[in-house]
Amino acid sequence: MEFEHKKMQTVIASEQYLVRLGVKTLLNVIGVESDLHEADSFEELERLINDVPDLNYLILSDELLPKKKQDCLKDIKGSCSLCKTIIIGQQKIPGCVFEHFILHSYDRKQVVEELQNFFQEPELTQEKNDSCTLSDREIDVLKTVALGCSNKEIADQLFISINTVITHRKNITGKLGIKTISGLTVYALMNHIIKAEEVR
Amino acid sequence: MVAFTRKNKMAEVILRDYQLLPIISRFGIQLGFGNKNIEEVCIDRNVDLAFFLEILNSYHNADYYPENHLSGFKADVMISYLTNTHSYYLNSKVPHIELFIDKMQKEAKKENSRNIGLLKQFFNEYKIDIEHHFKDEEKNVFPYILDLEEALKTNNYSTELIEKIKKEPIEVYERNHESLEVKLADMKNLIIRFLPPLSCEDDCERLLTELFQLECDIEDHTRMEEKVLIPKVKMLERKVLEYYGI
Repeated sequence: MEFEHKKMQTVIASEQYLVRLGVKTLLNVIGVESDLHEADSFEELERLINDVPDLNYLILSDELLPKKKQDCLKDIKGSCSLCKTIIIGQQKIPGCVFEHFILHSYDRKQVVEELQNFFQEPELTQEKNDSCTLSDREIDVLKTVALGCSNKEIADQLFISINTVITHRKNITGKLGIKTISGLTVYALMNHIIKAEEVR
Repeated sequence: MVAFTRKNKMAEVILRDYQLLPIISRFGIQLGFGNKNIEEVCIDRNVDLAFFLEILNSYHNADYYPENHLSGFKADVMISYLTNTHSYYLNSKVPHIELFIDKMQKEAKKENSRNIGLLKQFFNEYKIDIEHHFKDEEKNVFPYILDLEEALKTNNYSTELIEKIKKEPIEVYERNHESLEVKLADMKNLIIRFLPPLSCEDDCERLLTELFQLECDIEDHTRMEEKVLIPKVKMLERKVLEYYGI
């Protein structure tokens, strides 16, 4: 039942009030039914990405991004991998991790088409959630978690930052649907990722 | 959804929502109520009618908001209910679940029997967790609440109680009140998604049903503690402090 009632979650991020208003109006025109959240600064956007559970769509005006745009976008993709993103900007950002754009030069028809395409494509969530296979790196992390290591210990052992450890853990829990450490340990033992003798 | 009232026939209530069966037994109400209505049954069994109705309705309908009504009860009625619920979990639900796990383990083939062994160990940890949680409430939290109520009733001043309100109010308990459902949800996920298929599907199905029910029940139980008991205790604490002009 919970699934049926769950509404889509969309974030509209732009410094300009008129842009946010315009996007909202167009979403209404094309009949997108979604909970809308607005961000008028990069900090606010980061907060929303962390706070809104199961964010589905992000409509992002690129003037909001701090200097290294590509890197920021990579970070955004990293922290909400299940969320689809469309960028509004002067021109396409070279080497961008997202493929959807609305350029300032577009006329009404083009903008509407672009938004419709963006919302009509099958959601990423579907295929990602379907596969509960973990990546090699996630298995490395799972192993250490199941053995009872702290985030700091995991970071040191695998030569990654604590933030990356947290992201991996989030993704593992998302894929497996298991939240507690002892639950993850049972999973790891069942699948022979660790041996019973190793458990602390 | 229409709420049950004192005039509803007890039998009809249960026929309408069988999930309420374990609730009535926690109040010491047994089957065979003939045509008696809720009020009559409560008088027979010496059960606080208003409190019983609120509990029935809030279990029957999760959106039912009992807060206002419930603040009219005395805390001891509620505490005795919560304590009964604890023993219901530990003496009835948990052994049931353990029984199904054991059965499944016996019937499974070698490799899968090892997997079920892991689940058994996991559930055992969970059992220790909840035993610990309940024991703490019964030993430390509930007596404190009863003391508060007693102090207000008898106007009897105790320095210890005042110290406790100042140093370790119910807010401390509220902050540390852990969720008891997360591990159960993990257990369900492990069985539904990752346990290789078993030949004894019936037992597995019953085990899952038990887990789903226990999870729902504990959720309601926690809701009761957090939404009703804690606000009430905060009010009692305020009253005691006010009375002694502190």
